[in-house]
Order: sequence, then C-alpha cells, then structure tokens
Amino acid sequence: MSVLEIEDLGVTFSTDTGDVPAVRDVSLYVRPGETLALVGESGSGKSTVALAAMGLLPGNARVSGRISVDGTPIVGADNRELSGLRGRTVSMVFQEPATALDPLTRVGAQIAEVVRNHRQVSRAEAARVAVDLLRRVGIPEPEHRASAFPFQLSGGQRQRVVIAMAIANSPGLLIADEPTTALDVTVQAEILDLLRALAADSGTGVLLVTHNMGVVADFADRVAVMLEGEVVETGTVEDVLLRPSHEYTRRLLAAVPRLAVGEPQAAGTAGEDPEERDSSASVVELRDVSVHFGRGRRTVRALQNVSLTVRPGETVGLVGESGSGKSTAARVALGLLHPDAGSVALFGNDLARTRGRARRSLLSGVGVVLQDPVASLDARMSVAECVAEPLRVHRRGMTAAQRRARVAEVLELVRLPGELAGRGPRELSGGQRQRVSLARALVLEPRLLVADEPTSALDVSVQRTVLEVIAELQGELGFACLFVSHDLAVVQEFAQRVVVMRAGSVEEEGPTMTTLLRPETEYTRRLIAAVPVPDPVLQRRRRASLGLEATA
Amino acid sequence: MDTALYLTRRLLQSLAVVLIVTVVVFCLLHALPGGPARGILGPQATNEQIAAFNHEQGLDRPLPVQYVYYLHTLLQGDLGTSYTLNEAVSRLIEQRLPKTLVLTVLSALVGLVLAIPLGMWQAVRRNKPVDYVVTTLSFIAYSTPVYFLGLLLILVFTQTLRWFPSQAPQGDTLSQVFSDPVALVLPVVTGAASMIAVFSRYMRASTLDNLAEDYVRTARSGGSRPFAVLWRHVFRNSLTPVIAMLGYYVPVLFGGALVVEQLFNYPGMGLLFWSAAQSSDYPVLLGCVLVISVATVIGTLLADIVQRIVDPRVKAERT
Repeated sequence: MSVLEIEDLGVTFSTDTGDVPAVRDVSLYVRPGETLALVGESGSGKSTVALAAMGLLPGNARVSGRISVDGTPIVGADNRELSGLRGRTVSMVFQEPATALDPLTRVGAQIAEVVRNHRQVSRAEAARVAVDLLRRVGIPEPEHRASAFPFQLSGGQRQRVVIAMAIANSPGLLIADEPTTALDVTVQAEILDLLRALAADSGTGVLLVTHNMGVVADFADRVAVMLEGEVVETGTVEDVLLRPSHEYTRRLLAAVPRLAVGEPQAAGTAGEDPEERDSSASVVELRDVSVHFGRGRRTVRALQNVSLTVRPGETVGLVGESGSGKSTAARVALGLLHPDAGSVALFGNDLARTRGRARRSLLSGVGVVLQDPVASLDARMSVAECVAEPLRVHRRGMTAAQRRARVAEVLELVRLPGELAGRGPRELSGGQRQRVSLARALVLEPRLLVADEPTSALDVSVQRTVLEVIAELQGELGFACLFVSHDLAVVQEFAQRVVVMRAGSVEEEGPTMTTLLRPETEYTRRLIAAVPVPDPVLQRRRRASLGLEATA
Repeated sequence: MDTALYLTRRLLQSLAVVLIVTVVVFCLLHALPGGPARGILGPQATNEQIAAFNHEQGLDRPLPVQYVYYLHTLLQGDLGTSYTLNEAVSRLIEQRLPKTLVLTVLSALVGLVLAIPLGMWQAVRRNKPVDYVVTTLSFIAYSTPVYFLGLLLILVFTQTLRWFPSQAPQGDTLSQVFSDPVALVLPVVTGAASMIAVFSRYMRASTLDNLAEDYVRTARSGGSRPFAVLWRHVFRNSLTPVIAMLGYYVPVLFGGALVVEQLFNYPGMGLLFWSAAQSSDYPVLLGCVLVISVATVIGTLLADIVQRIVDPRVKAERT
C-alpha cells in the first residue's frame, strides 16, 4: 500500500479578483521507503500539492479529488483529525530554516512539543526524546544544544532541528518542500545525506518538492514533472532526467546549467595566465582590501587582504559559501563600502582619493544588478522611470526626448517590449523585472557590470534567458563583469576567470575551467563535490566515490 | 556580568535624559510671560513689591544661575517650596503621587488585561463580524476625548443607573482609597478606555503578523492544535513589540490622569499639576515634570528589561 495517494486533485484559490486554479487533475503516489520528486518551476503548483497533502492549504482554497495518507482521507477531514495525523503519520520540512522555528522557544522544547502532541509522556521524558532526536539528526552536543534558541544555530543546524521535529514520531510520510534551497551546497549535501539515511532506516516515504534537478538526481527514485498545475510526466529518475518524453521536461532540463566535473580535456581552454597581463589596464582592482564590521571583541572580519582584478571585457566569477565575503567584496568594488585597509582602483583611479563630482562620474561607469528584482526596483516608479533615473542623475544635459529615446533603446537591448515601459515593476514577471534592472544598469554604458546573484531568485528557464541577454550584450558592448554567485555551474558557463572565497579571504583563483576542473585547494574540491549534477547515474557514481574517499 | 553592564549603561542614559528634560522645562517655564509674582501678590501689588518678591525668590538672577541653584538644591533632595500652597514640593508629591500611581497602574492593568486577549481574538477572527464590531468600538473609544467619555460614564452609571458614585475615593492615604473600591471603578474605566483601544489595535496587528509566520505552519505541521499554537507560540511573539510600546505610553497615562482626576475630584498629581500651572507655581510644576519624566524613563527601562527577558535575541544584539 502507498503511504500517500493522490487522485484527481484539484485546488482553486478564490481571490478578490476571481478564482485562480492552481492544481488540476493531479494523481500520484508514494510507496513506503521511496522518494518521489515533484519538480517544476515557480507557479507550477508543486508546493500547493505538498500543502494539500498536509491539509495545510489556506482558507481560501477549494479542494476536489482524493488524498489519503496511510489510508486516512485528508480532503474534508476536520482540524482534530488533521492534528492527529500531522507530526505522527505525515510530517513536513520547509524551505526556510531561518523562519520555520519559533524564535522565542528553545529548540528542544519545540521538538518536545511535537512528541507530546502524539505521545502520552511526561515533560522530562519528552525532553529526553528531543535530545535523542537532536543526536540522530547530527547536532553536536545535543544535551547542550537543546536549550539553544533558533537564532543561536546556523542555517544548516536549524534545518536539522526542523527535520528532528518532522521525524519525532517516525511518520510514514515525509514531505520536504525545497528543504535545501536556502542552504549552501556543502550544507545541502549534508542535509540530503541525513534525509536519505533517515528514510532508509525507517522506510519512510518522501515527497520531495524541488526545482533543483541536481537534488532530484541525487535523491529521488521517481519523478513527477508539473507544469501549470498539471503533472505532465512521471517516471523513474533515470527515465525522466535522461530520457525525458515530454517536450516541457526536455526544455526544462536543457535550461539547467550543468557543472562539468572530472578531468579537463586540455589545460588552458579558457583564459590565459593572469600574471602576464598588464594590471594597469584593469577595470577594477582591489588590492589587499580588508573590511571589518563592529568593534572590540565582536569585530567581524568580513574581508582580509583580498586582492581581485577585473580586466576590460572579461567576466570574473566570485564564488563561495554564504558569509565568505563575496557580496562584501562586490560592495567595495561598487564604492559603497570603504575598506579599512588596502586600496580600490576603479578604471585606474584610486577610489579613496577621488571626491565629489569626479567620484560620481567615476562610479557612473559601473552598473549593478542585484539578486532580488522586487526589492531593488522602486515600486512607485514605472519601468521607464526606473531605467531613466541614472540618466537624470548623471546626464543632466539630456532633454526629456533624448532620455526617452535612450530608455527605449536600452529596453530593446535587453529584449523587453516597449509597451512595458509604462507599467510598474510589480506588474512584470521575475525575469522581466530582472531585465529592467539590467537595462537600468546598462543605460549609462558602463565599463563594468557588477552582478550580485542576478539569477538566484529566478526559475532555470528564466535564468537561462537573463544570462544569455547579459552574455550577448557583453559581446556587443564590451563591458567587464564581476559576477557574484553561489552557483558554480552558472559561473562555469559564464565566467572566464573565477575567484573562490572562503571566510573573508581569497582561497584560490584562476581560469574558470582550470580552477573548477582541477581545484588546488581542499575547500574548492569540497565545494565542487557538493554540487549534485542533474544526471542520476553520474551523481550516484560521484557519491559512491566520495563515500569511499570519506571512509578511506 | 553582561546584564549588570547593560543596566549601568541604561541607568546612566536615563539620568542624562532626566537632566535634559529639566533643562528644557526650566527654560520654557521662565520664557513664559507673567511670572508668579503677580499671581501671588495680587493685582494691587506695586512694581516695587513685585521686584522685591522676585529678588527674594532669586527670580531676577540670570537663568543659568537660577538653574544651577535649582539643580544644586535638587541634588540635596530639596524640590523647593510651593509659592501658593506654602508647603515643600517634595511633601506635596509624596502625598499625591501614590494616589495617581494607583489610578494609572490600575487603568493600565485593566487596559492591558482586556486589550491583549481582545486584540488576539480579533486577529484570529479577522474580517469576521467580531473583528468589525471591536474595531469600530476601538476607534470610537480612541477618538472620544477623555473628559467627554468620563462625563458620559457619570451620566449613565451615576445619574441614571446609580451603580457607581461620581466622586473618586477621597481619603489621603492609600488604605482610605482602597476602602472604597466601588468609587474607583469609573475613574479607572475612564483612564483605561483609550488604552484598551490603542493596545488592542497593536496586539491585533502584531498577532496578524505572527499568524502569517512560517513557525506557525511548522507548529501546525507537527500536530499542534490551533489554540496550542496560539498560546505557546503566537502569544509571546506578538507580545514583545507591544511591551516596547508600553514604556512610551507612560506620559499618555499621566496626561489622562490630569483629566480623570479633575473629573472625579481625585486629588492626585494631575490636580496638583493643573492648579500649579494656573498660578505659575514654578517649583511645583518643575517637580511634577520631573516626576513624570522619571516615570517615563523608568517605564521605558522596565519595558526594555522585560523585553530582554522575553526575547533572547535582544540580549544577544545589545550587549
């Protein structure tokens, strides 16, 4: 018997502007001990299916069809029945470990609460169980950590706590909604290993909701692909990822950036030896830059002796885990942050020595695209106003007509239809918004584009088009690019040189292909090994060899 | 260790705030036209008599000198002597302050005890009839002037229903005040009304924010019943921002006491302040302002300390 059976599920949300169908005719099942991955892009309805299986849909959702968890019907069940199932028969792990835990309750108490929801045990006994669970999910010093508050734990540890809560009563079904999306790749690999071990131990069925094909290849037995609220393809992980039958799956897989791993074909495929070039020709050069935040004992050394050069026309990928200082380095290059030591040269001028108008005109040669296109565009401005704003500041002499012409020109460059110019950023899709950011960054014809995780918030197919636009324009306009990303596959495709950062320092750097295929440091090797590739056969082999390495 | 350091720093800050308040109030008071001499000596007084009075009280000296002199006596615990009541200001405050504290603390307690569950109830029943009714009542209570509300309550509960007296307990000591609890009802309710309105709004907004948080979903997915989620998680998380507001509400409470004490003929700080303002009784006015500013500073300090206890993150951030 299956632990989860969904038949002809339909979910419609009633909103002020009418009914919005989110899921149609979805049928799927999860058998004990097996992992079904539910993949698709944002808005495809995959999370809605997951929440429906938990009976956690918001009040404005109308559900039709049948869902049963371990034989118990979910659709139409009342709060009491659902509370009896949740945490005991079916549990859930969420995407954001930063917000998934109550900030004011100690983590041990939060786990104990789930235990006591379903078992008649004393408080002391529940607390002991909580410590055991923390040990099982690999939290060091669990007796001590049980009394920690969530903010005292790292993101990966918080996710382990959420998992401990989920497995507290050995549920038959675990629903994991993007469980590793908010985590660094190395932490992602640890969490996936943990989930795999737990599922294997207890025969728990897993419904894994994700957009990451590498995670799917690493973890799933079967895959269901969703598009616009419907399942368009189901099959084993090998069939779906290696021999996709549906047109959409093929397109989706083609858009996934693939990290080339293993031995390089020939040395020096891309880029030249950095030492040979003349450093005076650099677009931006950070020399021995140090930045620290705070004072006294609590000083955080965000950057230590970081040197970094971007030359005309080239793209430098800046990679590393969160907290490694890559965004801080980008902010220094943008002149937004004054280094405490070291110097920054922008187009050959020392930034620290330029003031006022000279500094402004120098900085007008740098465009910037940030991660979150919703937050980085003023919601009260139209698209045209957003793009025109840099012109108003730096090209005072321009007439309104000239400005309009230039805005239209740039919008066309980034392949945005002119009729969008009058709309507000909120009326656009994520990819369109990010292209508005790009247009805004390019309107002054910069010599350097700083892109900080420009596609991390986007779906893979959208990410692909945005990256293509950037690459094409770079060829046309010749600007250099400092490309900050945690996604090694994207960087590998996009950058000629790569700089790997770790804990505020440069760990290693070199031509992309050389560095990422034959990393010199253990850190970079681990970083690369942790990235799952979207090929189940290859990924299994990599994992096996890593496992051998680890045990050896 | 950290906590001791934090408290010392906060106390020093508070002292500085109180000092600045006295400077500002001192300057403002003396910038006012008129002055106390005319009021005390009467319209018949000659200019010479007024000059003599001003000289005697030191009012003809330069303002900074007067302030330093005031501060000097203040540090010795001497708040000066009232021009009109012929009594030491400290003695007056000693008599009046406990009564006002009884009124304001009771009003605040009643207000919070009603406002917090009310706000949470509204949040849970958002956009349902209960929410609309309570919201409407809150806006009415908030926008009704305190004196009007007091008069209305007297009209209904004293004149018509004859449930409660219109006069607050009159005794000088606290035990006398508490011996007649029925008479305290109307003043306390009048003082609490706007507090209920304001804080139920805060609590409603804060609870709504928290109900949308991810941890609520996590708790529910672990099998916790809706009420348990509300009580164990949402309540405490929603309360912390409301506690912070409480400190800033102290002067508002004192302001309310000014009107309530007048209405119900309750001789506390409010009445003292009012009559002192009428007769430009500088020492009494300064004393009252000092007391209110100290109370406000203590209020915010207490709110911060409670927040440090309730929310472990605050402690981690600020030490």
